[in-house]
Amino acid sequence: MRAYDTKYQTIIIGGGIAGMTAALQLYKFGIRVLIIEKEDNLGGHLNKWYKLFPGFVNADEVVSNIVSEINDKRIHNITSDEVISIDSIYDNYIVKTSSGHSFEAESVLLAQGFNTFDPTKKEEYGYGLYSNVKTSVEVEKILKEHSNITIPKRIGLIHCVGSRDEKAGNLHCSKLCCVSAVKQSIELKERFPDAEVICFYIDLRMFDNGFEELYMEAQVEHGIKFIRGRLSECSENIDGSLVLKVQDTLTGLPMNVSVDWLVLMVGKEAAKLPNLDKSIDLKLAPNRFVAPENIFYNPNQTSQPGIFCCGTVSGPKTIHESAADAKAAAMSIIDYLNRK
Amino acid sequence: MGKLRDKLFEDVRFEEGLKACMNCGVCTAICPAAEFYDYDPRRIVSIVQTADDETIIDLLKSETIWYCGQCLSCRTRCPRNNTPAYVIMALRKLSQEMGYFTESEKGRQQLALKRTVGDNVLKYGYCIYPAELTPSKHPEQGPVWEWVHKNSQAVYDRLGANLDKLGEGALRQIDNETLKELDAIFEITGNNDFFETIENYSEKQAEKMGLGFDDSHDCEYMKHITTVNEKKHQR
Amino acid sequence: MSKEKRDIWRKYQKSIGDDNFFFVRSCIRQNFFPASEQAFLHILRNELGKNVVEDARHTTCSGIGYHSDVVNFDTLQTIIARHFALMTEAKLKNVAISCVTSFGLYSEVLETWKEFPSELEKTRENLYKATKREFEIPENIAHCSDIIYKFREEIKNKGKNRLVNAETGEPLKIVDHIGCHYAKIFPEYGEGGAEFPQVLTGMIESWGGQTVDYPERRHCCGFGFRQYLVQANRGYSVSNTYKKLQSMEPYKPDMIIANCPGCTMFIDKWQYTISEMEHKTFGPDKTGIPVLTYEELAGLVLGYDPWDLGLQMHQVSAEPLLDKMGIKYDKDKKFADKSGKIFSIPKQPEYIL
Repeated sequence: MRAYDTKYQTIIIGGGIAGMTAALQLYKFGIRVLIIEKEDNLGGHLNKWYKLFPGFVNADEVVSNIVSEINDKRIHNITSDEVISIDSIYDNYIVKTSSGHSFEAESVLLAQGFNTFDPTKKEEYGYGLYSNVKTSVEVEKILKEHSNITIPKRIGLIHCVGSRDEKAGNLHCSKLCCVSAVKQSIELKERFPDAEVICFYIDLRMFDNGFEELYMEAQVEHGIKFIRGRLSECSENIDGSLVLKVQDTLTGLPMNVSVDWLVLMVGKEAAKLPNLDKSIDLKLAPNRFVAPENIFYNPNQTSQPGIFCCGTVSGPKTIHESAADAKAAAMSIIDYLNRK
Repeated sequence: MGKLRDKLFEDVRFEEGLKACMNCGVCTAICPAAEFYDYDPRRIVSIVQTADDETIIDLLKSETIWYCGQCLSCRTRCPRNNTPAYVIMALRKLSQEMGYFTESEKGRQQLALKRTVGDNVLKYGYCIYPAELTPSKHPEQGPVWEWVHKNSQAVYDRLGANLDKLGEGALRQIDNETLKELDAIFEITGNNDFFETIENYSEKQAEKMGLGFDDSHDCEYMKHITTVNEKKHQR
Repeated sequence: MSKEKRDIWRKYQKSIGDDNFFFVRSCIRQNFFPASEQAFLHILRNELGKNVVEDARHTTCSGIGYHSDVVNFDTLQTIIARHFALMTEAKLKNVAISCVTSFGLYSEVLETWKEFPSELEKTRENLYKATKREFEIPENIAHCSDIIYKFREEIKNKGKNRLVNAETGEPLKIVDHIGCHYAKIFPEYGEGGAEFPQVLTGMIESWGGQTVDYPERRHCCGFGFRQYLVQANRGYSVSNTYKKLQSMEPYKPDMIIANCPGCTMFIDKWQYTISEMEHKTFGPDKTGIPVLTYEELAGLVLGYDPWDLGLQMHQVSAEPLLDKMGIKYDKDKKFADKSGKIFSIPKQPEYIL
C-alpha cells in the first residue's frame, strides 16, 4: 500500500496475528485502520515457525491465510517501519515512525507481541560459545528448512530458559515453552528417529486442550524421556559434545549428562515500547508487560484512555488466545470510538 | 511453624539465604558435596522452609548438615536467590549452640576445628601456622612440605618472610596488643563463650563414649573424632 | 578462545583501586606461598611505583575459622571492621586482599551492612567496646589478582619472557582456576562475572598464553574447609581436585594458575597424593602439571629468579615448564638457603617426578 491517509481511527502497532485479527474485526465495523509493522513482512513470530500445535498445521499456511485477507480487504499497512514515538494531542495521538512518517490516530492499539529472551544472558548455558547449543526458535528454522546437518544421537531440551528466574530478570512463567518443548521433542524424534530425546523440565504446564494428551503421546508413541531438573550448567567436551549438569530431582541424583544438541526453550519478555510523551500514563505490570486497566472487566484497555492492547504485548498467550483477545480489543475500541 | 525456625531467622545469613524454594535442583546439580556425599542442598532448603521444631532438631543432629564444603556454587545459580550454604551455616551454628552436634560423627569434629583453626586465631593471629601443620598429621602435603616444616626458619628466611619476628612480613609474630584486641573481640561477640560451649558438650560426649578427654590435640577423643569415618556417608 | 567468544564475558567490569593500597595478607599464602606475597609487594612498589602499606598489626580475617563454623559472623564482621579501622587510621581507602576467601568475606560483610544496617551498627559497637577503635567503610576492595590484572599491560611491557613455548613459539596452554569465593558469591564483584571470570584470562592472554576451557573449569577445587582440615574428611577434598584434573587432562595443559591460595596449594599437593594412591599423574612421563600463583607467573614474565619466587616450595616440579619457556635457572640453588648453602633437600616422591 503506497498511499496512506494522514489520520486514522485506529493505528495498530504490530502486524502479527493479534494486530491483523484486530484489523480485520475493526474493518467489519467500518473502522479505518493502519497497521505499522517493523519487520519486512506481516505475520510476526509465526513467520519463523514450522508447525503449530494443536494439529501440527503449517505456520506458513495460517499466516498466508490471514495476510491474504488483509490484502483482499485492502487494509492499510506499512512494513519495515517501526513506531518510535506516541504523543498525545487533545483527544488523539500522533504516531511517528522510524522512516519519518507521522500519523494522527483517534485510538492506538498496542499489538507489538513479545521479545524472545536472549540466552547469552545465561552465560553458564554456553549459548553463543558452543555451537551445539541452540534456541527453540533456531530449531523451528532447522525443521522448516530441512537443512543438511550432522545427526545428533542425543538431544536435550531445557525448559524455563529466561523464565521463572530472578537471575535472568524474569520471575514470570512464559506459559508456552512447555508445550513447545513437547512438540519439538516429537518433531526432532521424527526427524532423527535413532536419537534419544530428553526434556529437562521443572513443572509441565500442559494447560490447554490437547496439551496433556500431547505429553502422553510424546512418552508413549515417541519414547521421549522426561527428567525433572533444571539445567545448572552446560560445558563443552573436547569433541564438541556437551556435558549437562542437572539433578534428577525425583530420584535425587545429581547427573552429568552428555548430549550432542542442547535446545534452550527461551522465554517471552515484554516488547520494547515506543517513546511516550510525558502526559501519557501507560502502566506496566511487574513483569514489564503492558498492564490492562482491569483484568476482569476491561482487559484490552490500558491505563491510558484511547490506548488499547491485545495479544502477547500484555503477557504470554497461545495463538488462539491472541486472536480472541484481538477481536475483544476491536470491540472495546469500537465502543470507545462510538462514545467519543 | 516453630520456635527453632524463628530462632534461625534471627541469623542474618538464614534470612539472606532462605527465600522460597521451587525444588528445581540447580543447586544440587552443581554442588561438589552432592557428588561425593549423600547430600542434597535442594532437599535441605525445601524441608527447612516449612519445617517444624522436630524436623529441625533431626537435621541439627544429622550428618547431613556437615557435608557442605561452603564453596557457595549454589548461590550463583539459584533462580529464586536462595543460598543453601547460608542455611547450612545457620543450622551448623544452632547445632553447636544447642549441643546437637555431638550426636553425629561429622558434627563431633567441630571440637577439632575449634582446637586447631579456632584456637590458632587467638594464639597466633592466624588460622594456619606452619608449626601446627605437622607432616605426620598431613602426609598428603608431601615431602616438600616435610622439608619446609623441618627447616622453617631457613626456608622462610630465603623467601623473604619474617617468621616469628615482630614488624611487617609474612608469618610475622603478631604483637601482644593486637592479640589482646582479638581476644577482646572474641569476648564481646560471645565467641569465647561459643568456644566453651563446644568444649563442654564435647567433654560430655567423650564421657558418654568412654574416651579420654583433655586439653591436648592427642587425647583419645580428639584422635577419635579426627580419624573415624564409618563410611556411611555416600549414597 | 576466539574474540567473539571473549566479548560475551566482558559484561562485568569492576572498579579496581589504582594506588595507595592497604595490604592484608592471607593465612595460607603466608604459609605456602610467602614469596608470592613478597613478589606482589615488590611488583607494585618497585616495578609500578605504587604505594602499598602493610600494617603489622593486621591479623587473619578469621575466614577459615568462619567457614569451619567455629568463628561467628559477628566476630568475623568485627575483625574485618578492625582492619578498616587500621585503614582509616592510615587514611587509606583501597584494600588489596591477598586471599580469595578473605575477599569473598570482605564483600559479604560490606553487602550485609548495606542490606542489614543494624549489623553495621552492631559491629561498630562491638569494635568500639573491644578495642576503642572506629572505622570508615573503604572505597574499594580488590583482590591482589585484580590489581595484577589491572596492571597486566605494564607488566607485559616490562616483561622479559612470554608465555610461549620457547622452541615452537606456540602460546602455552594454561588452565586458569578461579577460587570459588572470588565471584560465585557476588558475580558483580568478580572481573568478568562468575561464569567466565576475566581476571586470570586477561593476564594469560596479555602475556602471550592461551586459556583452556574444559568441562570442570568452574568446579570447586574441593578445599571445603572442614572437609580438608579434619583428616577423616579429606577424601572429599582430593576427589574434587581429581575430578578437575581428569577433566583437563585431554587438553594437555602446560600449567595451571589459580588466584586463590588454597586452590593453588591443593591442586599442587593433591597431584602428589593422587600419584601415590592411584599411580596416576596428569603430565607427560610421570610428571605433574605445574601449578602457579599469578604472582609467580608475573614474576616469571618479568624475569625474576624462580627460586626467589618460591617455586621450590611446590610439590609438582616447575622445571619442565621453565625449560619449555626457555627460562634459565640454577638447578643447584633450588633448595639453598639465603646464603646459597644447601642444608638439606626434600625426599623424592615414590611415583611422581
